[in-house]
Amino acid sequence: MYGWTGTILRVDLTHGTVRRERTDRELAHDYIGARGMGGRIIADEVDPQADPLGPENKMVFAPGPFTGTFAPSGGRYNVITKSPLNNTIAASNSGGTFGPELKYAGYDAVIVEGRSRTPVYLWIRDDEVVIRDASAFWGMNVHDAVDAMRAETDEDAKVACIGPAGENLSLIASVMNEMHRAAGRTGVGAVMGSKKLKAIVVVGTGPVTVADPDRFKSAVLSCTGKIKANPVGGAGLKAYGTNVLVNILNEVGALPTRNFQDGHFPNADKTGGESLAANQLVRPKGCYACVISCGRVTKTDNPLYPGMGEGPEYETAWGFGADSGVDNLDAIVKANYLCNEYGLDTISMSATIACAMELYERGYLTKEDTDGLDLVFGNAQAMVEAVRKTGTGEGFGKRLAEGSYRLAESVGHPELSMTTKKQEMPAYDPRGVQGIGLNYATGNRGGCHVRGYTISYEVLGQGPPMDPHATEGKAALDIAFQNLTAALDATGSCLFATFGIGGPELAEMLSALTGEEYSLEEFLRAGERIWNNERLWNLKVGYSAADDTLPKRLLEEPIKTGASRGEVNRLDEMLPEYYSLRGWDADGVPTQAKLEELAL
Amino acid sequence: MHIKYFATFRELAGERSFDLDEPPPDVAGLLELLATRYGDRFRRAVLADGHLGPELILLVNGRNVRLTGGLATPLTPRDDVSVFPMVAGG
Repeated sequence: MYGWTGTILRVDLTHGTVRRERTDRELAHDYIGARGMGGRIIADEVDPQADPLGPENKMVFAPGPFTGTFAPSGGRYNVITKSPLNNTIAASNSGGTFGPELKYAGYDAVIVEGRSRTPVYLWIRDDEVVIRDASAFWGMNVHDAVDAMRAETDEDAKVACIGPAGENLSLIASVMNEMHRAAGRTGVGAVMGSKKLKAIVVVGTGPVTVADPDRFKSAVLSCTGKIKANPVGGAGLKAYGTNVLVNILNEVGALPTRNFQDGHFPNADKTGGESLAANQLVRPKGCYACVISCGRVTKTDNPLYPGMGEGPEYETAWGFGADSGVDNLDAIVKANYLCNEYGLDTISMSATIACAMELYERGYLTKEDTDGLDLVFGNAQAMVEAVRKTGTGEGFGKRLAEGSYRLAESVGHPELSMTTKKQEMPAYDPRGVQGIGLNYATGNRGGCHVRGYTISYEVLGQGPPMDPHATEGKAALDIAFQNLTAALDATGSCLFATFGIGGPELAEMLSALTGEEYSLEEFLRAGERIWNNERLWNLKVGYSAADDTLPKRLLEEPIKTGASRGEVNRLDEMLPEYYSLRGWDADGVPTQAKLEELAL
Repeated sequence: MHIKYFATFRELAGERSFDLDEPPPDVAGLLELLATRYGDRFRRAVLADGHLGPELILLVNGRNVRLTGGLATPLTPRDDVSVFPMVAGG
């Protein structure tokens, strides 16, 4: 096989065994890799009713065919498992250099099953694979654990690990790699914690073979040129990072503010990418084979919030900023650092704190509940302390660690959790941008922007501009983005590559790399197959059309101020058309004809 | 009229915002006025062959002018204008 290594590593932590299997060629072709192949493996091997934190759940760490090659921004891997946050197929995506190292070690995927009785880590050096004792590292934060495990193995090793949040089974725990990069969403860190697996530590020295090197090189150079020529991919993201979005979303009236009580934050500019570049930015940073460098190495000298690390991305700056009513960027940066050290998803963590702030202001939580924290909107110090408590699992932090839905439900007000399928929505208000609301509602892993980033067309002018307040054409737009993104995720490419290239270029690189000819139609069908596989899983675990919805607030309470004042999301105008265009029945179930078309 | 600049436009304009008591009647007039005020680099960023520059995002009261008539979009003294380069993230 080319592009794929042809080998999958299966690790049974219950019995302490390791074995190698051949990568199924048909599976690789149809699901490509990463999110696609991992999702299929979970659907085939895990009982949909399994306890996600029990030994019967499995985890797949999977790069894609592009990962480890010089495909531009093609260095990503996915962590795929049954989510403990919401039972969906969790496929959480991360950059950095861990994914390429797994490929160089020779693996298309590492499947982890069972559960160890004591803390362990997996040490991989090419063919040498050993389950090692991690007792000395259990309880360490991410940074300390990575340093310690590198000292025990290899200073150049790449490490994907959990922090105390994952060990404590926080449902919003992430898996961190290279200390600052996160497979953040859907609680994948808790599954690792439940298996007593602190980390996977890897050194790889092998090649990734290419079917047609000349054709691949030509395709890569062409794609790299297109990304660099794009004003966003070429310079914009490097200069200001993703956090440059704070101001434009605020100006169009779609920056969710104070737990989505509004869509406009008057002090947003203090928290944006321009402010970060002027005050905290040390330098931009890219992942493996990145030609964009949107990452931010940052530092804050504020005595209240000292530190140095990476971030924040836009979603993080929004969550700890506008959504929490905080305009102190040093505090936002510090909250991000703590999430990275404890291994917490910055989106769900910040949105859960924002929810807690609303519950507190409405009197549903008291100081007695919050361990004395005055958790009002805008209280930056209380916010940072709430992150610390969550990371350590201390006091009120235990409740925050379960995410906003369970917190709000515990006080009788689940409607104040800004979630779909119990996962916190990110930084785009569906009342101000209709299409992203449909994407949140239909998202297979719950509230998520990177499954169908319609913002590109609805707000950012990447492609034909579409009125963000209109619903017409949004069902087709969502489906196109969702299918393309699923296929792209499966290749191991970064979503930001699409600021410059699209389906035709990705299909050409994939064909040249693997030697399997993917027409554009076939590439997009693979994305549609991945999407429907995830949908079928959701139906099996008990989700239905009733769950393809948004919080009542977004459907009934108009935005109060800003450019989208008076708007609500009109999901009912889009959802029936979405089902129809998907080839699903009125209950959101894929028809037999659709399943046969996709060979599902 | 209140005009705000973001990202690279802050550097091109050398200021964060600018107020106009009597703005031109439409976006075309406004961009010509601003290009005259800030110079050639600014002009090249906002106009291309007599059209809206392809890398410009211009909002009037939060609405992208490409959806409201482009250069012909009418203006009033009470409008808020936001000037962005093409940005992205997520």
